[in-house]
Amino acid sequence: MVVDDDLTAALTALRAVGRRSSVARTVQGGVEERLLQSIVDATASLFDAEASSIALFETDPDRLVFRVAAGAQGAGAIGLQVKPTEGIVGFVFSTGQALALTDVASDPRFNLEAARRTGYVPRSIAAVPLLDDDGSVGVLQVLDKRGSPSFSLRDMELLAIFARQATTAITATKVQRDTGRLLTEVLRQVAQGSLTDAQVEVLVSAATSGLDDDAEDPFWRLVDHVALLRSVGERDLTLVADILGVVARHAQGTRRRA
Amino acid sequence: MSDLDLPAWTEPFTDLPGLARRMRLRGVSREWAWGGATGAGVRVGIIDSGLEADHPRLAGRVVQSVAVELVDGDPHVVPDEAVDLYGHATACGGIILGLAPEVELVSIRVLGADLRGKGTAFAAGLEWALDQGISVLNLSLSSKSEALFPVFHDLVDRAYFRGVAVVSAANNVPAASYPSLFSSVFSVAAHSEPDPWRLYYNPAPPVEFGAWGVDVPIAWKDGGSTVATGNSFAAPHVAGMVALILSKHPGLTPFEVKAVLAAIADNPRTVRRRGRKGA
Repeated sequence: MVVDDDLTAALTALRAVGRRSSVARTVQGGVEERLLQSIVDATASLFDAEASSIALFETDPDRLVFRVAAGAQGAGAIGLQVKPTEGIVGFVFSTGQALALTDVASDPRFNLEAARRTGYVPRSIAAVPLLDDDGSVGVLQVLDKRGSPSFSLRDMELLAIFARQATTAITATKVQRDTGRLLTEVLRQVAQGSLTDAQVEVLVSAATSGLDDDAEDPFWRLVDHVALLRSVGERDLTLVADILGVVARHAQGTRRRA
Repeated sequence: MSDLDLPAWTEPFTDLPGLARRMRLRGVSREWAWGGATGAGVRVGIIDSGLEADHPRLAGRVVQSVAVELVDGDPHVVPDEAVDLYGHATACGGIILGLAPEVELVSIRVLGADLRGKGTAFAAGLEWALDQGISVLNLSLSSKSEALFPVFHDLVDRAYFRGVAVVSAANNVPAASYPSLFSSVFSVAAHSEPDPWRLYYNPAPPVEFGAWGVDVPIAWKDGGSTVATGNSFAAPHVAGMVALILSKHPGLTPFEVKAVLAAIADNPRTVRRRGRKGA
Protein backbone atom coordinates (compact mmCIF):
# COMPACT_ATOMS: atom_id res chain seq x y z
CA MET A 1 0.00 0.00 0.00
CA VAL A 2 1.34 3.45 -0.99
CA VAL A 3 1.33 5.77 2.00
CA ASP A 4 1.68 9.48 1.28
CA ASP A 5 1.45 12.34 3.79
CA ASP A 6 -2.26 12.99 3.24
CA LEU A 7 -3.06 9.36 3.77
CA THR A 8 -0.96 9.20 6.93
CA ALA A 9 -2.84 12.22 8.29
CA ALA A 10 -6.18 10.66 7.35
CA LEU A 11 -5.16 7.40 8.97
CA THR A 12 -4.15 9.18 12.18
CA ALA A 13 -7.52 10.91 12.26
CA LEU A 14 -9.30 7.60 11.64
CA ARG A 15 -7.33 5.93 14.43
CA ALA A 16 -8.36 8.74 16.77
CA VAL A 17 -12.00 8.17 15.82
CA GLY A 18 -11.56 4.45 16.25
CA ARG A 19 -9.95 4.82 19.66
CA ARG A 20 -12.60 7.26 20.92
CA SER A 21 -15.32 4.91 19.73
CA SER A 22 -13.69 1.97 21.49
CA VAL A 23 -13.34 4.01 24.68
CA ALA A 24 -17.00 5.04 24.45
CA ARG A 25 -18.01 1.43 23.96
CA THR A 26 -16.05 0.32 27.00
CA VAL A 27 -17.24 3.15 29.22
CA GLN A 28 -20.89 3.06 28.16
CA GLY A 29 -21.08 -0.72 27.76
CA GLY A 30 -24.32 -2.50 28.56
CA VAL A 31 -26.76 -0.22 26.71
CA GLU A 32 -27.69 -3.02 24.31
CA GLU A 33 -27.97 -5.52 27.16
CA ARG A 34 -30.32 -3.23 29.05
CA LEU A 35 -32.53 -2.65 25.98
CA LEU A 36 -32.72 -6.37 25.27
CA GLN A 37 -33.41 -7.08 28.93
CA SER A 38 -36.35 -4.68 28.89
CA ILE A 39 -37.72 -6.50 25.84
CA VAL A 40 -37.58 -9.97 27.40
CA ASP A 41 -39.00 -8.53 30.65
CA ALA A 42 -41.96 -7.14 28.70
CA THR A 43 -42.37 -10.38 26.70
CA ALA A 44 -42.36 -12.61 29.78
CA SER A 45 -44.81 -10.32 31.52
CA LEU A 46 -47.20 -9.86 28.58
CA PHE A 47 -47.35 -13.57 27.77
CA ASP A 48 -47.41 -14.47 31.48
CA ALA A 49 -44.64 -16.93 30.57
CA GLU A 50 -42.28 -18.97 32.71
CA ALA A 51 -39.33 -17.62 30.74
CA SER A 52 -38.36 -15.41 27.82
CA SER A 53 -34.86 -15.04 26.43
CA ILE A 54 -32.82 -13.70 23.51
CA ALA A 55 -29.94 -15.59 21.91
CA LEU A 56 -27.60 -13.72 19.58
CA PHE A 57 -25.37 -15.18 16.89
CA GLU A 58 -21.62 -15.03 17.47
CA THR A 59 -18.77 -16.39 15.37
CA ASP A 60 -15.46 -18.23 16.00
CA PRO A 61 -16.94 -20.73 16.51
CA ASP A 62 -20.46 -20.20 15.14
CA ARG A 63 -22.88 -20.28 18.07
CA LEU A 64 -26.02 -18.76 19.52
CA VAL A 65 -25.42 -17.24 22.93
CA PHE A 66 -28.31 -16.49 25.30
CA ARG A 67 -27.58 -12.95 26.38
CA VAL A 68 -30.65 -11.93 28.39
CA ALA A 69 -33.56 -13.75 30.04
CA ALA A 70 -36.59 -12.99 32.17
CA GLY A 71 -39.34 -14.85 34.00
CA ALA A 72 -39.33 -17.23 36.96
CA GLN A 73 -37.50 -19.93 34.96
CA GLY A 74 -35.40 -17.66 32.76
CA ALA A 75 -32.23 -17.10 34.77
CA GLY A 76 -30.65 -20.46 33.95
CA ALA A 77 -30.55 -19.66 30.24
CA ILE A 78 -28.15 -16.70 30.44
CA GLY A 79 -24.75 -17.56 29.02
CA LEU A 80 -26.01 -20.84 27.54
CA GLN A 81 -24.56 -21.53 24.09
CA VAL A 82 -26.09 -23.71 21.38
CA LYS A 83 -24.93 -24.57 17.88
CA PRO A 84 -26.93 -22.99 15.04
CA THR A 85 -27.61 -26.56 13.90
CA GLU A 86 -29.28 -27.50 17.19
CA GLY A 87 -32.84 -27.40 18.38
CA ILE A 88 -35.70 -25.03 17.82
CA VAL A 89 -33.59 -21.93 18.36
CA GLY A 90 -31.05 -23.12 15.78
CA PHE A 91 -33.77 -23.91 13.27
CA VAL A 92 -35.50 -20.56 13.67
CA PHE A 93 -32.17 -18.77 13.38
CA SER A 94 -31.11 -20.74 10.29
CA THR A 95 -34.39 -20.54 8.39
CA GLY A 96 -35.80 -17.20 9.54
CA GLN A 97 -39.10 -19.03 10.10
CA ALA A 98 -41.00 -18.49 13.34
CA LEU A 99 -42.42 -21.58 14.97
CA ALA A 100 -43.91 -22.91 18.16
CA LEU A 101 -43.96 -26.40 19.66
CA THR A 102 -46.36 -27.78 22.23
CA ASP A 103 -45.86 -30.92 24.28
CA VAL A 104 -42.13 -30.46 24.15
CA ALA A 105 -41.45 -32.18 27.46
CA SER A 106 -43.39 -35.28 26.46
CA ASP A 107 -40.84 -35.87 23.71
CA PRO A 108 -37.69 -37.11 25.46
CA ARG A 109 -35.58 -36.31 22.41
CA PHE A 110 -36.31 -32.61 22.38
CA ASN A 111 -33.05 -30.72 22.91
CA LEU A 112 -32.97 -32.26 26.36
CA GLU A 113 -29.32 -31.56 26.96
CA ALA A 114 -29.69 -27.82 26.42
CA ALA A 115 -32.89 -27.75 28.48
CA ARG A 116 -31.17 -29.58 31.34
CA ARG A 117 -28.31 -27.11 31.27
CA THR A 118 -30.80 -24.31 31.99
CA GLY A 119 -32.30 -26.34 34.83
CA TYR A 120 -35.75 -26.10 33.23
CA VAL A 121 -37.48 -28.35 30.69
CA PRO A 122 -40.39 -26.50 29.06
CA ARG A 123 -43.74 -27.90 27.96
CA SER A 124 -44.16 -25.40 25.14
CA ILE A 125 -41.86 -23.04 23.27
CA ALA A 126 -42.36 -20.26 20.72
CA ALA A 127 -39.40 -18.79 18.86
CA VAL A 128 -39.13 -16.00 16.29
CA PRO A 129 -36.06 -14.83 14.38
CA LEU A 130 -34.43 -11.43 14.86
CA LEU A 131 -34.04 -10.29 11.26
CA ASP A 132 -32.01 -7.28 10.19
CA ASP A 133 -31.19 -6.24 6.63
CA ASP A 134 -28.52 -8.93 6.33
CA GLY A 135 -30.60 -11.83 7.68
CA SER A 136 -30.93 -13.52 11.08
CA VAL A 137 -28.92 -12.05 13.95
CA GLY A 138 -30.57 -14.03 16.74
CA VAL A 139 -33.74 -15.51 18.19
CA LEU A 140 -36.35 -14.41 20.72
CA GLN A 141 -38.01 -17.29 22.54
CA VAL A 142 -40.80 -17.71 25.06
CA LEU A 143 -41.29 -20.80 27.22
CA ASP A 144 -44.58 -21.96 28.73
CA LYS A 145 -47.38 -19.45 28.59
CA ARG A 146 -49.10 -20.04 31.93
CA GLY A 147 -52.66 -19.43 30.71
CA SER A 148 -52.57 -21.81 27.73
CA PRO A 149 -50.83 -25.03 26.67
CA SER A 150 -49.96 -23.60 23.25
CA PHE A 151 -49.34 -20.42 21.27
CA SER A 152 -51.91 -18.85 18.93
CA LEU A 153 -51.28 -17.08 15.62
CA ARG A 154 -51.90 -13.80 17.42
CA ASP A 155 -49.19 -14.76 19.94
CA MET A 156 -46.76 -15.39 17.10
CA GLU A 157 -47.50 -12.06 15.51
CA LEU A 158 -47.14 -10.26 18.83
CA LEU A 159 -43.85 -12.02 19.41
CA ALA A 160 -42.68 -10.90 15.97
CA ILE A 161 -43.31 -7.29 17.02
CA PHE A 162 -41.13 -7.75 20.11
CA ALA A 163 -38.50 -9.39 17.92
CA ARG A 164 -38.52 -6.37 15.68
CA GLN A 165 -37.93 -4.11 18.69
CA ALA A 166 -35.02 -6.28 19.75
CA THR A 167 -33.55 -6.10 16.25
CA THR A 168 -33.89 -2.33 16.24
CA ALA A 169 -32.06 -2.18 19.58
CA ILE A 170 -29.31 -4.42 18.27
CA THR A 171 -28.93 -2.46 15.03
CA ALA A 172 -28.85 0.84 16.92
CA THR A 173 -26.07 -0.27 19.23
CA LYS A 174 -24.20 -2.35 16.67
CA VAL A 175 -22.70 0.70 14.98
CA GLN A 176 -21.48 1.95 18.33
CA ARG A 177 -20.08 -1.47 19.14
CA ASP A 178 -18.52 -2.12 15.80
CA THR A 179 -15.97 0.59 15.16
CA GLY A 180 -14.90 -0.98 11.90
CA ARG A 181 -18.39 -0.93 10.51
CA LEU A 182 -18.85 2.68 11.54
CA LEU A 183 -15.62 3.75 9.83
CA THR A 184 -16.47 1.74 6.73
CA GLU A 185 -19.83 3.44 6.40
CA VAL A 186 -18.39 6.91 6.98
CA LEU A 187 -15.54 6.34 4.50
CA ARG A 188 -17.90 5.05 1.82
CA GLN A 189 -20.14 8.07 2.22
CA VAL A 190 -17.27 10.56 2.23
CA ALA A 191 -15.47 8.94 -0.69
CA GLN A 192 -18.67 8.77 -2.77
CA GLY A 193 -17.37 6.07 -5.04
CA SER A 194 -13.79 7.30 -5.42
CA LEU A 195 -12.53 4.47 -3.18
CA THR A 196 -13.13 0.82 -3.99
CA ASP A 197 -14.51 -1.49 -1.31
CA ALA A 198 -11.09 -3.12 -1.07
CA GLN A 199 -9.40 0.25 -0.49
CA VAL A 200 -11.94 1.13 2.19
CA GLU A 201 -11.28 -2.23 3.83
CA VAL A 202 -7.49 -1.60 3.87
CA LEU A 203 -7.99 1.84 5.44
CA VAL A 204 -10.40 0.61 8.09
CA SER A 205 -8.25 -2.34 8.99
CA ALA A 206 -5.18 -0.03 9.32
CA ALA A 207 -7.19 2.32 11.54
CA THR A 208 -8.69 -0.28 13.83
CA SER A 209 -6.02 -2.97 14.12
CA GLY A 210 -4.71 -3.37 17.62
CA LEU A 211 -7.07 -0.74 19.05
CA ASP A 212 -8.39 -2.85 21.85
CA ASP A 213 -6.93 -6.30 21.36
CA ASP A 214 -4.39 -5.97 24.13
CA ALA A 215 -6.25 -6.21 27.42
CA GLU A 216 -2.95 -5.87 29.31
CA ASP A 217 -2.21 -2.49 27.77
CA PRO A 218 -2.27 -0.01 30.73
CA PHE A 219 -4.44 2.37 28.70
CA TRP A 220 -7.25 -0.19 28.41
CA ARG A 221 -6.92 -1.14 32.06
CA LEU A 222 -7.47 2.53 32.83
CA VAL A 223 -10.52 2.66 30.55
CA ASP A 224 -11.91 -0.45 32.24
CA HIS A 225 -11.49 1.18 35.64
CA VAL A 226 -13.19 4.35 34.43
CA ALA A 227 -16.06 2.22 33.11
CA LEU A 228 -16.49 0.65 36.57
CA LEU A 229 -16.56 4.10 38.15
CA ARG A 230 -19.86 4.84 36.43
CA SER A 231 -21.61 3.01 39.23
CA VAL A 232 -19.93 4.72 42.20
CA GLY A 233 -21.68 7.39 44.28
CA GLU A 234 -20.98 11.12 44.18
CA ARG A 235 -18.78 11.15 47.30
CA ASP A 236 -16.59 8.34 46.00
CA LEU A 237 -16.42 10.03 42.63
CA THR A 238 -15.01 13.18 44.29
CA LEU A 239 -12.44 11.00 46.02
CA VAL A 240 -11.50 9.37 42.70
CA ALA A 241 -11.17 12.78 41.05
CA ASP A 242 -8.89 13.90 43.90
CA ILE A 243 -6.72 10.79 43.55
CA LEU A 244 -6.53 11.24 39.77
CA GLY A 245 -5.56 14.89 40.34
CA VAL A 246 -2.66 13.77 42.55
CA VAL A 247 -1.59 11.23 39.93
CA ALA A 248 -1.76 13.85 37.18
CA ARG A 249 0.37 16.31 39.18
CA HIS A 250 2.84 13.52 39.85
CA ALA A 251 2.97 12.68 36.14
CA GLN A 252 3.62 16.34 35.23
CA GLY A 253 6.47 16.45 37.76
CA THR A 254 7.94 13.25 36.34
CA ARG A 255 7.79 14.61 32.81
CA ARG A 256 9.53 17.84 33.85
CA ARG A 257 12.36 15.94 35.52
CA ALA A 258 12.80 13.63 32.54
CA MET B 1 -41.79 0.01 14.80
CA SER B 2 -42.27 2.34 11.82
CA ASP B 3 -43.43 -0.29 9.37
CA LEU B 4 -45.96 -2.05 11.54
CA ASP B 5 -48.49 -1.36 8.82
CA LEU B 6 -47.03 -4.28 6.86
CA PRO B 7 -49.63 -7.02 6.60
CA ALA B 8 -49.68 -9.81 9.14
CA TRP B 9 -49.85 -12.70 6.69
CA THR B 10 -52.29 -14.80 8.67
CA GLU B 11 -54.81 -12.03 9.12
CA PRO B 12 -56.92 -12.76 6.00
CA PHE B 13 -57.77 -16.19 7.34
CA THR B 14 -59.26 -14.81 10.53
CA ASP B 15 -61.78 -12.68 8.60
CA LEU B 16 -63.88 -15.19 6.69
CA PRO B 17 -66.50 -12.76 5.27
CA GLY B 18 -63.59 -10.85 3.73
CA LEU B 19 -62.60 -14.01 1.82
CA ALA B 20 -65.98 -14.41 0.10
CA ARG B 21 -65.64 -15.39 -3.58
CA ARG B 22 -68.16 -15.96 -6.33
CA MET B 23 -65.97 -17.82 -8.80
CA ARG B 24 -66.88 -21.41 -9.54
CA LEU B 25 -65.51 -23.68 -12.21
CA ARG B 26 -68.29 -25.81 -13.64
CA GLY B 27 -67.66 -29.44 -12.84
CA VAL B 28 -64.62 -28.74 -10.65
CA SER B 29 -65.24 -30.13 -7.17
CA ARG B 30 -63.01 -31.82 -4.62
CA GLU B 31 -64.26 -35.12 -6.00
CA TRP B 32 -63.17 -34.08 -9.49
CA ALA B 33 -59.89 -32.64 -8.23
CA TRP B 34 -58.61 -35.58 -6.19
CA GLY B 35 -61.39 -38.12 -5.57
CA GLY B 36 -59.71 -41.55 -5.43
CA ALA B 37 -56.22 -40.08 -5.81
CA THR B 38 -53.35 -41.14 -3.53
CA GLY B 39 -50.51 -39.08 -4.94
CA ALA B 40 -49.16 -42.15 -6.76
CA GLY B 41 -46.77 -41.27 -9.56
CA VAL B 42 -46.00 -37.80 -8.18
CA ARG B 43 -42.56 -36.88 -6.86
CA VAL B 44 -42.46 -34.22 -4.14
CA GLY B 45 -39.20 -32.48 -3.22
CA ILE B 46 -38.74 -31.08 0.28
CA ILE B 47 -36.09 -28.35 0.47
CA ASP B 48 -35.37 -28.21 4.20
CA SER B 49 -33.38 -29.85 6.99
CA GLY B 50 -33.22 -33.37 5.45
CA LEU B 51 -35.79 -36.17 5.74
CA GLU B 52 -35.35 -38.90 8.35
CA ALA B 53 -36.08 -41.70 5.91
CA ASP B 54 -36.73 -44.42 8.49
CA HIS B 55 -39.20 -42.34 10.53
CA PRO B 56 -42.42 -44.36 10.93
CA ARG B 57 -44.52 -41.42 9.70
CA LEU B 58 -42.58 -41.35 6.41
CA ALA B 59 -43.51 -44.99 5.76
CA GLY B 60 -40.53 -45.70 3.50
CA ARG B 61 -41.63 -43.14 0.89
CA VAL B 62 -38.26 -41.33 0.68
CA VAL B 63 -36.71 -42.30 -2.67
CA GLN B 64 -33.69 -40.00 -2.72
CA SER B 65 -31.71 -37.80 -0.30
CA VAL B 66 -29.26 -35.11 -1.37
CA ALA B 67 -27.60 -32.20 0.39
CA VAL B 68 -26.07 -28.95 -0.78
CA GLU B 69 -22.48 -28.48 0.34
CA LEU B 70 -20.54 -25.27 0.02
CA VAL B 71 -16.97 -25.77 -1.18
CA ASP B 72 -15.07 -22.44 -1.10
CA GLY B 73 -18.45 -20.73 -1.19
CA ASP B 74 -19.61 -22.66 -4.29
CA PRO B 75 -22.63 -24.92 -3.81
CA HIS B 76 -22.45 -28.60 -4.81
CA VAL B 77 -25.28 -31.11 -4.62
CA VAL B 78 -24.09 -34.44 -3.15
CA PRO B 79 -25.79 -37.62 -1.89
CA ASP B 80 -26.86 -37.29 1.74
CA GLU B 81 -27.46 -39.53 4.72
CA ALA B 82 -31.19 -39.80 5.31
CA VAL B 83 -31.19 -37.92 8.61
CA ASP B 84 -32.95 -34.77 9.80
CA LEU B 85 -30.93 -32.18 11.72
CA TYR B 86 -33.90 -30.52 13.34
CA GLY B 87 -36.98 -32.62 12.64
CA HIS B 88 -38.57 -29.93 10.51
CA ALA B 89 -38.29 -31.57 7.07
CA THR B 90 -39.60 -34.84 8.50
CA ALA B 91 -42.56 -32.92 9.95
CA CYS B 92 -43.34 -31.49 6.49
CA GLY B 93 -42.95 -34.92 4.83
CA GLY B 94 -45.32 -36.47 7.37
CA ILE B 95 -47.97 -33.81 6.73
CA ILE B 96 -47.75 -34.33 2.94
CA LEU B 97 -48.06 -38.12 3.30
CA GLY B 98 -51.05 -37.59 5.59
CA LEU B 99 -52.91 -36.17 2.57
CA ALA B 100 -51.19 -37.96 -0.30
CA PRO B 101 -49.89 -41.28 1.12
CA GLU B 102 -48.39 -42.64 -2.10
CA VAL B 103 -46.22 -39.76 -3.30
CA GLU B 104 -42.47 -40.28 -3.60
CA LEU B 105 -40.45 -37.92 -1.40
CA VAL B 106 -37.09 -36.42 -2.36
CA SER B 107 -35.07 -34.90 0.46
CA ILE B 108 -33.02 -31.83 -0.49
CA ARG B 109 -31.09 -30.67 2.58
CA VAL B 110 -30.00 -27.04 2.47
CA LEU B 111 -29.47 -26.55 6.20
CA GLY B 112 -26.50 -27.81 8.13
CA ALA B 113 -23.31 -27.07 9.98
CA ASP B 114 -21.62 -25.11 7.21
CA LEU B 115 -24.80 -23.79 5.61
CA ARG B 116 -26.72 -22.05 8.40
CA GLY B 117 -29.59 -21.45 6.01
CA LYS B 118 -27.40 -19.61 3.54
CA GLY B 119 -29.47 -18.35 0.62
CA THR B 120 -26.95 -19.59 -1.94
CA ALA B 121 -27.36 -23.19 -0.71
CA PHE B 122 -31.12 -22.80 -0.74
CA ALA B 123 -31.04 -21.47 -4.31
CA ALA B 124 -28.73 -24.30 -5.44
CA GLY B 125 -31.11 -26.90 -3.95
CA LEU B 126 -34.01 -25.30 -5.77
CA GLU B 127 -32.14 -25.22 -9.08
CA TRP B 128 -31.10 -28.87 -8.75
CA ALA B 129 -34.69 -29.91 -8.06
CA LEU B 130 -35.93 -28.45 -11.36
CA ASP B 131 -34.19 -31.19 -13.37
CA GLN B 132 -35.18 -34.24 -11.31
CA GLY B 133 -38.70 -35.07 -12.49
CA ILE B 134 -40.09 -33.48 -9.33
CA SER B 135 -43.54 -31.93 -9.85
CA VAL B 136 -44.13 -30.38 -6.42
CA LEU B 137 -41.58 -28.59 -4.24
CA ASN B 138 -42.24 -27.74 -0.61
CA LEU B 139 -40.23 -24.79 0.73
CA SER B 140 -40.91 -24.11 4.37
CA LEU B 141 -38.08 -21.62 4.48
CA SER B 142 -37.20 -18.37 2.80
CA SER B 143 -34.37 -15.92 2.34
CA LYS B 144 -34.31 -12.27 3.25
CA SER B 145 -31.25 -11.53 1.13
CA GLU B 146 -31.90 -8.69 -1.32
CA ALA B 147 -28.88 -9.90 -3.30
CA LEU B 148 -30.68 -13.19 -3.99
CA PHE B 149 -33.92 -11.52 -5.09
CA PRO B 150 -33.15 -11.88 -8.84
CA VAL B 151 -31.77 -15.41 -8.36
CA PHE B 152 -34.94 -16.67 -6.68
CA HIS B 153 -37.12 -14.71 -9.07
CA ASP B 154 -35.47 -16.43 -12.02
CA LEU B 155 -35.57 -19.89 -10.39
CA VAL B 156 -39.25 -19.84 -9.47
CA ASP B 157 -40.14 -18.48 -12.91
CA ARG B 158 -38.23 -21.36 -14.47
CA ALA B 159 -40.09 -23.76 -12.17
CA TYR B 160 -43.41 -22.20 -13.18
CA PHE B 161 -42.65 -22.48 -16.89
CA ARG B 162 -41.52 -26.10 -16.49
CA GLY B 163 -44.74 -26.99 -14.69
CA VAL B 164 -43.18 -27.48 -11.25
CA ALA B 165 -45.49 -26.29 -8.46
CA VAL B 166 -43.38 -24.46 -5.85
CA VAL B 167 -45.27 -24.31 -2.55
CA SER B 168 -43.68 -21.76 -0.23
CA ALA B 169 -44.45 -20.92 3.40
CA ALA B 170 -44.91 -17.20 3.97
CA ASN B 171 -42.60 -15.89 6.63
CA ASN B 172 -44.48 -15.37 9.90
CA VAL B 173 -42.47 -12.25 10.47
CA PRO B 174 -43.98 -9.33 8.56
CA ALA B 175 -40.96 -8.59 6.39
CA ALA B 176 -39.99 -9.21 2.78
CA SER B 177 -38.86 -12.80 2.18
CA TYR B 178 -38.13 -14.72 -1.01
CA PRO B 179 -39.40 -16.64 -2.83
CA SER B 180 -42.65 -16.66 -0.85
CA LEU B 181 -43.62 -13.21 -2.12
CA PHE B 182 -43.34 -14.04 -5.83
CA SER B 183 -46.51 -14.60 -7.84
CA SER B 184 -45.20 -17.77 -9.49
CA VAL B 185 -45.20 -19.71 -6.20
CA PHE B 186 -48.06 -21.08 -4.11
CA SER B 187 -47.57 -18.86 -1.06
CA VAL B 188 -49.17 -20.28 2.10
CA ALA B 189 -49.91 -18.95 5.59
CA ALA B 190 -51.58 -20.64 8.54
CA HIS B 191 -55.18 -20.76 9.68
CA SER B 192 -56.09 -22.22 13.04
CA GLU B 193 -58.96 -24.58 12.18
CA PRO B 194 -57.81 -28.12 13.05
CA ASP B 195 -58.60 -29.72 9.68
CA PRO B 196 -55.88 -30.78 7.24
CA TRP B 197 -58.31 -30.47 4.31
CA ARG B 198 -59.54 -26.94 5.11
CA LEU B 199 -58.19 -24.58 2.45
CA TYR B 200 -58.72 -20.89 1.87
CA TYR B 201 -57.88 -18.85 -1.18
CA ASN B 202 -56.84 -15.27 -0.36
CA PRO B 203 -57.86 -12.84 -3.10
CA ALA B 204 -55.51 -10.22 -1.62
CA PRO B 205 -51.96 -11.55 -2.21
CA PRO B 206 -49.00 -11.88 -1.69
CA VAL B 207 -50.16 -14.82 0.43
CA GLU B 208 -52.56 -16.78 -1.78
CA PHE B 209 -53.57 -19.79 0.30
CA GLY B 210 -54.38 -20.58 3.92
CA ALA B 211 -54.04 -24.06 5.42
CA TRP B 212 -53.89 -25.58 8.88
CA GLY B 213 -50.81 -24.38 10.77
CA VAL B 214 -51.75 -24.10 14.44
CA ASP B 215 -51.22 -26.93 16.94
CA VAL B 216 -50.58 -29.42 14.13
CA PRO B 217 -49.52 -32.93 15.30
CA ILE B 218 -46.24 -33.56 13.49
CA ALA B 219 -43.44 -36.09 13.12
CA TRP B 220 -40.21 -34.88 14.73
CA LYS B 221 -36.60 -36.00 14.75
CA ASP B 222 -35.33 -39.38 16.00
CA GLY B 223 -38.64 -41.11 15.30
CA GLY B 224 -40.45 -38.68 17.59
CA SER B 225 -43.53 -36.52 17.32
CA THR B 226 -44.79 -33.25 18.73
CA VAL B 227 -47.37 -30.52 18.17
CA ALA B 228 -46.33 -27.39 16.31
CA THR B 229 -47.46 -23.98 15.07
CA GLY B 230 -46.12 -22.00 12.11
CA ASN B 231 -46.68 -21.17 8.46
CA SER B 232 -44.08 -23.79 7.66
CA PHE B 233 -46.60 -26.48 8.73
CA ALA B 234 -49.36 -24.91 6.62
CA ALA B 235 -47.39 -25.10 3.35
CA PRO B 236 -47.08 -28.94 3.28
CA HIS B 237 -50.88 -29.25 3.55
CA VAL B 238 -51.15 -27.34 0.27
CA ALA B 239 -48.23 -29.32 -1.21
CA GLY B 240 -50.13 -32.52 -0.38
CA MET B 241 -53.30 -31.24 -2.11
CA VAL B 242 -51.30 -30.15 -5.17
CA ALA B 243 -49.71 -33.62 -5.33
CA LEU B 244 -53.15 -35.25 -5.22
CA ILE B 245 -54.44 -33.03 -8.05
CA LEU B 246 -51.37 -33.77 -10.19
CA SER B 247 -51.64 -37.47 -9.47
CA LYS B 248 -55.21 -37.51 -10.81
CA HIS B 249 -54.63 -34.91 -13.55
CA PRO B 250 -51.01 -35.21 -14.69
CA GLY B 251 -49.79 -32.34 -16.81
CA LEU B 252 -51.85 -29.55 -15.24
CA THR B 253 -49.76 -26.38 -15.10
CA PRO B 254 -49.16 -24.46 -11.86
CA PHE B 255 -51.62 -21.83 -13.15
CA GLU B 256 -54.30 -24.49 -13.67
CA VAL B 257 -53.61 -26.09 -10.29
CA LYS B 258 -53.95 -22.71 -8.56
CA ALA B 259 -57.27 -22.16 -10.32
CA VAL B 260 -58.49 -25.59 -9.18
CA LEU B 261 -57.45 -24.87 -5.59
CA ALA B 262 -59.20 -21.49 -5.67
CA ALA B 263 -62.33 -23.15 -7.05
CA ILE B 264 -62.51 -25.85 -4.38
CA ALA B 265 -61.39 -23.67 -1.45
CA ASP B 266 -63.62 -23.32 1.61
CA ASN B 267 -64.16 -19.59 1.16
CA PRO B 268 -67.69 -18.39 1.88
CA ARG B 269 -69.68 -18.12 -1.35
CA THR B 270 -71.80 -15.11 -0.42
CA VAL B 271 -70.26 -11.82 -1.34
CA ARG B 272 -71.59 -8.80 0.53
CA ARG B 273 -73.24 -6.40 -1.90
CA ARG B 274 -71.68 -3.05 -1.25
CA GLY B 275 -72.66 -0.14 -3.50
CA ARG B 276 -72.57 -2.16 -6.71
CA LYS B 277 -73.80 -0.26 -9.73
CA GLY B 278 -77.29 -1.32 -10.72
CA ALA B 279 -77.67 -3.57 -7.68
